[in-house]
Amino acid sequence: MSAVQEALPAIRGSRDAIVRRFALTDSIFHGMTRAAAILVLVLLGGVAISLFAGSWQALSTFGFSFLTSESWNPVTEKFGALAPIYGTIITSAIAILIAVPLGIGIAIFLTELCPRPLRRPIGMAVELLAGIPSIIYGIWGLFVLAPFLQTTVQPFIIGVFHGIPGLNSLFAGPPYGIGLLTSSLILAIMVLPFITSITKDVFDTVPPVLKESAYGIGCTTWEVTRRVVIPYTRIGIMGGVMLGLGRALGETMAVTFVIGNAHRISTSLFAPATTISATIANEFTEAVGDLYTSSLVALGLILFVITFLILAIARYMLMRIDARTGA
Amino acid sequence: MSQMLSPDMTIAAEATAKAKIEVKNLNFYYGQSKALKDITLSLPERSVTAFIGPSGCGKSTLLRVFNRIYELYPKQTAEGQVLLDGQNVLDRSQDLNLLRTKIGMVFQKPTPFPMSIYENIAFGVRLYEKLSKSEMDGRVEQALKRAALWNEVKDKLNASGLSLSGGQQQRLCIARTVAVKPEVILLDEPASALDPLSTAKIEELIDELQADYTIVIVTHNMQQAARVSKQTAFMYLGELVEFDRTEKIFTSPREKRTQDYITGRFG
Repeated sequence: MSAVQEALPAIRGSRDAIVRRFALTDSIFHGMTRAAAILVLVLLGGVAISLFAGSWQALSTFGFSFLTSESWNPVTEKFGALAPIYGTIITSAIAILIAVPLGIGIAIFLTELCPRPLRRPIGMAVELLAGIPSIIYGIWGLFVLAPFLQTTVQPFIIGVFHGIPGLNSLFAGPPYGIGLLTSSLILAIMVLPFITSITKDVFDTVPPVLKESAYGIGCTTWEVTRRVVIPYTRIGIMGGVMLGLGRALGETMAVTFVIGNAHRISTSLFAPATTISATIANEFTEAVGDLYTSSLVALGLILFVITFLILAIARYMLMRIDARTGA
Repeated sequence: MSQMLSPDMTIAAEATAKAKIEVKNLNFYYGQSKALKDITLSLPERSVTAFIGPSGCGKSTLLRVFNRIYELYPKQTAEGQVLLDGQNVLDRSQDLNLLRTKIGMVFQKPTPFPMSIYENIAFGVRLYEKLSKSEMDGRVEQALKRAALWNEVKDKLNASGLSLSGGQQQRLCIARTVAVKPEVILLDEPASALDPLSTAKIEELIDELQADYTIVIVTHNMQQAARVSKQTAFMYLGELVEFDRTEKIFTSPREKRTQDYITGRFG
């Protein structure tokens, strides 16, 4: 008994030491994780500042007209970003329009309808698409897809929509093969795996009992998916779409191959055009003047801002949806 | 099973007129393992039948055969007959969606759909009926009243079903089931995730609903079975051990295993 009482202070002492050591390692851990988080902010700020500084010359020379002017003339050093902005937004938008229904369709098939033995192979194949380097998409687009579109698809579509107002200007001009639509198709293929695999993952998070209750009141698979699974997972789906959109906006190599790199805005989807990243990649090596370089950096800044805005808008939309349903 | 039928059991069935569901020689398999062994029983119309028994005895499995919800999963198979008004629901030609509008189901955990309270109920109705706005409003109100939820939610029908408390959500699920006008309601431990007050409300509700519906309830709670049901089936290890009037099961069971279970000696 007395031995125990004597031992107590000793135990207390050693425990205090352990507690102090814990406190120390804990605060080191704390500091390291915080530093890592701050590092991200510093990097983001650094990128923003250097983009802004680099583009200052162009922005101060051209002012607001940099955004509204279509001319891009290295000889006279007159630069305007409207054509690449237009090309970037249109190609990404069309790519998303094509890839979202396809991606969600594949995800529905894989989670709800596909026979079990086929599930993994098909899922893996879709995810392998994401692993193909973009240069390969570029080569394939230029040497396989573009000639195919040029010789078969585009002449057919031009013929079909020839006399229809609106559509005939959307699908007009000589079939070059390369251009806005070809880039959009390549981009759609490239973002498809992102959208599919995220959608598939969030579909798997729907509690089985929720689906059972929907089937339990007599829903078909389509109704369960449309009214229960998709609403339940819409935030995740939006996340996947945004990730895909981010990729489409910034994709450089594949687009540079097939877009045609023409600084002009045409209503026709078959016309060659350019995007921000394609312009930068193509012209940085030949940008001799300071103003030329600065204009290219300014293009980068605009891409940065567009991506940022789209993410912000997506966040805001999700917040509004949540507020409305009270979830 | 048939040779075990005592005169009491036939009386129990006769007392409440005709059988709504008749199960004949039903076997059920999860892959290779047999979960239900030669079940035969008959559930009378417009009354409450309780399935009791320890975990894994097959009572939920039996319930899930009635509306064939088990078919959502591969490798689950049923053999035998389940007759709903004399029609075998296990028949290949049975239309599943139609069957499930006739046999509603409420689960252990509340499962409101990700939509408003109003839509949670209107959704199921709209699948099979074309109603005008005012008719639909009436149907929603009626269903919510039946589920004793109307007074609590009438001012916020557009709020999300997920914003309700657990007990309210469960009553919403019952309202949703009732709104489709089924003939049979299957309740799979409907009150096990709820507090005592909500449980009492659900039990009252079951009591009222049996005037119009044939109700089957699976429960772990023997007092609940005793309170709400007219007939009780005791199941053990995939077998139907005893099926009789509830007061008979709880006061003078025929089988020793039933006696042991209801007195808390195992399970």
